[in-house]
Amino acid sequence: MDTFLQVLVNGIMLGGLFTIVAIGLTLIFGIVKVINFAHGEFLMVGMYLAYLLTVGLGVHPYVTVVALAPALFVLGALAQRFIIQPLLAARDEHVQIFATVGLSTALINLALMVFGADIVNTPSSGLRTPLEIGPVRVLIGQICILVTAVVAVIGLQLFLGRTNTGRAIRAVAQNRTAAQLMGINANRMHILTFGIGTACVGVAAALVAPLYPTSPNIGTYFVLTAFVVVVLGGLGSIPGALLGAMVIGVVDAMSGFYIGSDLREAVVFGMFLVILILRPSGLLGSRSTLSHVSP
Amino acid sequence: MRIRALAATSVLALTIMAPQAMAEVKFGALYPFSGPLALLGEESARGLEIAVDEINAAGGVQGEQVVLARGDAVDPNQAIGEARRLISLENVKAVFGTYSSSRSMAASQVAELSGIPYFELGAVADDITERGFTYVYRTNPTADSMAKLIVKMLVDKVAPALGKEPGDLRIGIIHEDSNYGTSVAGHQEDYGEEAGLNIVSVQGYPASIVDMSSIVLSLKEANVDVVLQTSYQNDSVLFLQQANEAGLKPAAIVGGGGGYSMMPTAEAVGTDLIEGVLDADFTQYAVNTDFTPGLEDFVAAYRDKYGSDPRSGHSLNNYVGAMAILQALDEADGLDPDAILKAVNAIDIENGTTAAGYGIKFGDGNQNERAFMMGMQWQGGKLVTVYPDDAAVAEMAITQ
Repeated sequence: MDTFLQVLVNGIMLGGLFTIVAIGLTLIFGIVKVINFAHGEFLMVGMYLAYLLTVGLGVHPYVTVVALAPALFVLGALAQRFIIQPLLAARDEHVQIFATVGLSTALINLALMVFGADIVNTPSSGLRTPLEIGPVRVLIGQICILVTAVVAVIGLQLFLGRTNTGRAIRAVAQNRTAAQLMGINANRMHILTFGIGTACVGVAAALVAPLYPTSPNIGTYFVLTAFVVVVLGGLGSIPGALLGAMVIGVVDAMSGFYIGSDLREAVVFGMFLVILILRPSGLLGSRSTLSHVSP
Repeated sequence: MRIRALAATSVLALTIMAPQAMAEVKFGALYPFSGPLALLGEESARGLEIAVDEINAAGGVQGEQVVLARGDAVDPNQAIGEARRLISLENVKAVFGTYSSSRSMAASQVAELSGIPYFELGAVADDITERGFTYVYRTNPTADSMAKLIVKMLVDKVAPALGKEPGDLRIGIIHEDSNYGTSVAGHQEDYGEEAGLNIVSVQGYPASIVDMSSIVLSLKEANVDVVLQTSYQNDSVLFLQQANEAGLKPAAIVGGGGGYSMMPTAEAVGTDLIEGVLDADFTQYAVNTDFTPGLEDFVAAYRDKYGSDPRSGHSLNNYVGAMAILQALDEADGLDPDAILKAVNAIDIENGTTAAGYGIKFGDGNQNERAFMMGMQWQGGKLVTVYPDDAAVAEMAITQ
């Protein structure tokens, strides 16, 4: 029983990690509807920044979030304005996908050039200390990730639901043309949303960096799971991302322990397919359009 | 008339080319010089370059100075293209390489088809010398050698230190699931069963794993004494940290090269946590030099030429392989492919007489059957050789 609890808690902590990484993608993929393959590389850039700031200034890794969130916001907004937006006019909107793949490859190789292929380590500053709660052990850093993930989900949900800007963002997502007719500047909303999405990645980077070694490829480790989480939760649904991440995290941990590590991914992705077949719009998704050209 | 003109131009062409061809002999150096593997690709090539310098200083090969034509094997595709260029445009007599197994597999096929000898000095995948090729030789130890050494080390050293029979050790094998980890783990199982070890768990995982807690838990439940991990950097760090945090404390952890041989791994987990961890890899520098004569001279030559200490054992192992081949070619009768093959087939160098310790004699599939890896241990923040005894500079420290 103790082992089961430990596996369950491991799964929930993993879910927290997936949530914090995927939450920005929900905004970008679910609302701007850009399939952003460079999402993981934004995380990588953030983790390197967290490393440089932590080591350079000797501050606690969490303090770097003050610089990371704005820096990543700007990076994301620039990417949307100068890479994605000019391509919106392209005859085939899939061009953007390739643009983000190009951005991803460029960022990985840039990191290889600047930092080399070896890993770098952000000091863990006590965040790797295990806490014993009853029969289970968790790391302080993992709890921080989980708490931040839940707070971020609630915060973003309130922002999208209760503020005018949030309503405008959702309006653009639902029907771009109608939103423009209502006087909403759709391009600006997209830039803003993309920026908020990548700022979330900045927050994630500050939380993840002290727990995981940073390497140029670290983004690719997370990006596939992040897409799965977003699709499973329902496109554009913020609470869906949390639920999706928890499902993936717990199934991952359970199958890794009870079925075997070799079959873990087969189980996770098999379950993902079954849920999608049964609920094509995801766990909490409503039917929404994936196109920029509104119906 | 036309034939005569053709003959005349040919003669002219030959006379223009001839002096150059007489003065020097050209070999290919095919390594990843750019891209993600550039660092260790370059490091490997430096070993070859030092060997060439040494041979040239001693009068060259059959009186001709050796020059290297570089080919950049960024990926397997480009390795093929560069191998073609070296062979047909640069007209190299043989190709040396390659550090990376996937690039070696691809490029050596080109050499085999062209009938040009290909000398692999550093790639470890077993398959390279299991394809029945005639022109492809390998001087360095392989994935198979790694597993063999790890099992021998468990039987000879780890089990006695724990006061147990080898069959009483409970062993867990975990590995990343690409070709590298899977083949080493497969050989570990085979050699382990042969030696009567009790292997209780074998688990693969993708190298891009972000959480190993379920693997750690299952090893803990299986109550293992020894964990064997074949892994890259990221997953080595993750396992060592998560095992420590979950309270999994096996009597020995043995890594298979990769992440376990690298300083950044030790820095990531901290020298306390990696203290005592064992590892199998190519010969490194913290080794008993009585067993590796010439190692100090190599390091001195390296410092002279590149202005720093060698960054890894790759250069040393490439140097040893290249020296053996080049010295054999000096004895050969001409440098056509058949003469080269005849000369290298005759190589017979005893263990304990090269700078890497292992001897060289080509056996099945043109694999160097004397090549072996060494057992190392992290002690005081450094990776020191502890096995075999001839090469050890420190006692293996195993606490019960």
